[in-house]
Amino acid sequence: MVDKNKCTGCHQCELWCGTEIASVSKELYQAIHETPQPVPRVFVEGKDFALQCRHCEEAPCIEACPNGTMRRDPETGLVYVYEPTCIACWMCVMACPFGIITPSSTLKVAIKCDRCRNMGYPICAEVCPTQAIRLEERKDYRTKAF
Amino acid sequence: MRYVIVGGSASAISAVEAIRSIDKDSSIDLFSDEATPLFSRVLLPYYIAEELSKPLLSFRSADFFEQNRVTPHLGVKVRSILADSKMIQTEDGKSYSYDKLLLATGGNPIIPPIRGIELQGIFPLKTMADAEKIYHFKAKRAVVIGAGSVGVESSISLKRRGMEVTLLEQLGQVLPTVFDEEAASVVQKRIEELGITTILGEKALQFEGNGQVKKVITESRVIECDMVIIAVGIRPAIELAQEAGIEIGSTGGIKVNPEMMTSIADIYASGDVAETYDITRDSPWVNAIWPCAVEQGRIAGLNMAGKRVLYEGSFRRNSIGNFIGIPAISMGLLRAETCSTCEGGEAFQEIKKRTKETYKKLILKNGRLVGVILVGPTQKAGLYQILLKKKMAVTDYIPLLMSHRLNFMDLLPLIRRYADRFTETEYKEIMDTGL
Repeated sequence: MVDKNKCTGCHQCELWCGTEIASVSKELYQAIHETPQPVPRVFVEGKDFALQCRHCEEAPCIEACPNGTMRRDPETGLVYVYEPTCIACWMCVMACPFGIITPSSTLKVAIKCDRCRNMGYPICAEVCPTQAIRLEERKDYRTKAF
Repeated sequence: MRYVIVGGSASAISAVEAIRSIDKDSSIDLFSDEATPLFSRVLLPYYIAEELSKPLLSFRSADFFEQNRVTPHLGVKVRSILADSKMIQTEDGKSYSYDKLLLATGGNPIIPPIRGIELQGIFPLKTMADAEKIYHFKAKRAVVIGAGSVGVESSISLKRRGMEVTLLEQLGQVLPTVFDEEAASVVQKRIEELGITTILGEKALQFEGNGQVKKVITESRVIECDMVIIAVGIRPAIELAQEAGIEIGSTGGIKVNPEMMTSIADIYASGDVAETYDITRDSPWVNAIWPCAVEQGRIAGLNMAGKRVLYEGSFRRNSIGNFIGIPAISMGLLRAETCSTCEGGEAFQEIKKRTKETYKKLILKNGRLVGVILVGPTQKAGLYQILLKKKMAVTDYIPLLMSHRLNFMDLLPLIRRYADRFTETEYKEIMDTGL
């Protein structure tokens, strides 16, 4: 969940996502000098709204992927890129209605938020100073039990 | 209920999944004339380039048929449909009855009647078998005829394998169905930088060689080679349907209604063989691309299993991928002035922005977005896709759409304005950002 009223557009989530998730060094000061440059998976859009992958129930990126690289975790329902098979065709980039998939020409993979599926808790929610980004279960929305 | 599916690629597999999402028990028989199942056709150039090994070409796991309780008949060609008795007959003389039949037969590569076409070393690239032949063929110099997606990707693949490659296109630009001249020139420059010779505006008139192709002759030159790839396009594989008396549309594909049903009840068609309503053209068209095949297969499958779902329509979408080193994406119409299928009296508008390495063009019809070409920054390509698909008038959003600052949140007011064009689930999924 992202609360529009609480988001101040401070870009903390972008910084932390870029450092903690995307960089090799995991240290902000070193991360900004890394090549290829680390890419955050969350974007502060407009003036003040943090947007990351919505993990759509009918995910256009999964439909567009020609070799099953874009996958859904059967347990959590989270959509993720299985990097070893990504061929950088950018079909998912073309399909994402939110524009949150980054085509990385240098790494030759599609980069997107996997809601920190291997870390337990999403870093963007952890570092958000106003708690605009929160991880919450909502029974009223998803029809499937994600 | 007995389901029979003819075809084994994207659309057929998507239909299987759709059927199984509703009907867990009925029998599904799938017929494919290709022996290798579940490989991704669009990735064959990557196989030739040795970028992907065979197992990585699969778009579903090897146990897909077992998991979904499908009886596959691989390498079995369907000979005819007996619509009156609801049966199909295969070439090995067997018959199978169906309650619902899906024709997802795809397309056949066009083999132009050029003199010498029967020589050894001349291949189309459509099936796994074609790819294997090309892969194992020993050649030093290759000519690729046709600079569409398959032609361009094959050229690059062969170049990566160390061959000397000439790309021959009879029209005046590369990727004529994907890009306009300007975007094509950026792409062409990239292709040439890779060391591929491109010859535009010339036609292959004859192939020469003693049993084995050695020369391609055009109006103005002779190109020496020992392999030729024919990539001049595909045509819907409508033979089965035609013979069964199913109506064929004006653009050459099987005509279907929004439920993806053909002119004969209980026979459906989807994917590269089907002619559907094209949203950007506002007329019927065969959009033979992967995402449309998947969408249509799903709609066909759901309707076959008894859930009434209507197809909104298709539109062209192409992404050139990392083959040329810069992302390039294009959708819908390519240019305003040459839209032959659009009626007169409509106001077209083109908005362009070009830098050395990037290009962006929007095509508007009566203020509505009908085409987008992006070379370079493409991350937000999907946003244009919603606007295109939902036929939104965007005249008051042009500065934002042309800007590199384009983002989802700033487009929200426009999406809200057209809220009634989304289904409830679609809208909920788009709007559920916690607002």
